[in-house]
Amino acid sequence: MDHQAEEFQVSQMQIVAYCCEHCAYAAADLAGGLRIPYPSAIKVVQLPCTGKLDVLMVLQALEAGVDGVMVAG
Amino acid sequence: MIIAEQKSLEELKSLVGTAEKVLVVGCGTCVTVCFAGGAREAAITSASLRMSSKLDGSPKQVSDVTVQRQCEWEYLDQIAEQVGQVDIVLSLGCGIGVQAIAEHFPQVWVVPGLNTKFLGLPTEQGVWAERCAACGDCILGLTGGICPIARCSKSLLNGPCGGSEAGHCEVSPDIPCAWQLIYDRLTSLGRLNVLLDLQPPKNWRTSRDGGPRQIVREDLRLHIEED
Repeated sequence: MDHQAEEFQVSQMQIVAYCCEHCAYAAADLAGGLRIPYPSAIKVVQLPCTGKLDVLMVLQALEAGVDGVMVAG
Repeated sequence: MIIAEQKSLEELKSLVGTAEKVLVVGCGTCVTVCFAGGAREAAITSASLRMSSKLDGSPKQVSDVTVQRQCEWEYLDQIAEQVGQVDIVLSLGCGIGVQAIAEHFPQVWVVPGLNTKFLGLPTEQGVWAERCAACGDCILGLTGGICPIARCSKSLLNGPCGGSEAGHCEVSPDIPCAWQLIYDRLTSLGRLNVLLDLQPPKNWRTSRDGGPRQIVREDLRLHIEED
């Protein structure tokens, strides 16, 4: 797979990222402030804490058709 | 409370078979508290069956609902409409809940999503232990509040047996010897003399030996049958 094809596939993907507001979400905020790009496939969902994450939230995202779920905290 | 465990997804799929419309029914009482069949587990089971059947190439319509108690007609009445719209009901109640649904909705095919295990309590988070065997003739008053019927592997009335070693049962070192527990508790309470009364063989007719059991409270019945 050449680089262009790989880029195309990534851009078609949907990844839900459940982020703790105290660390990962704040880091994403900082990355934005520093103009550091990240793939548009990543859809960030802010959580008060990753301890709030329930397996049901992961299942709901996958059932809705996303390609992957990321948990960051 | 009644303690149960969920069956594997493979077994659930096998039980559901070729049915296309499935209703997963959770129960809001015992099996909610032991994390086996409450609203959360019903939603997870429902989502798992939907995704799994989709991956298998024959997507099913799976929905879920949770009632306060599956073992009472009044709560089952609330889901009558939903039950009437599906091919099969997957009950996440205990064995009583499954049978209550079968009895209350005679036209519906109902299958169990849980294995009902025992009557017990959580000793720590994530650990449940058996405490009562529902023998129908409680002797906890003779044993310091520790049940030798449920907790002694041999259900001895005059224990311990020769297999008790350093406070553990010969069946498994993970099982505390019930009679050691009884002895220790009665000692700490200064009531060891209770053990001087030898217990005669237990009358098991109050337990399963007498067949299926029923209690009739005439003072509570609304309709007293005439002779």
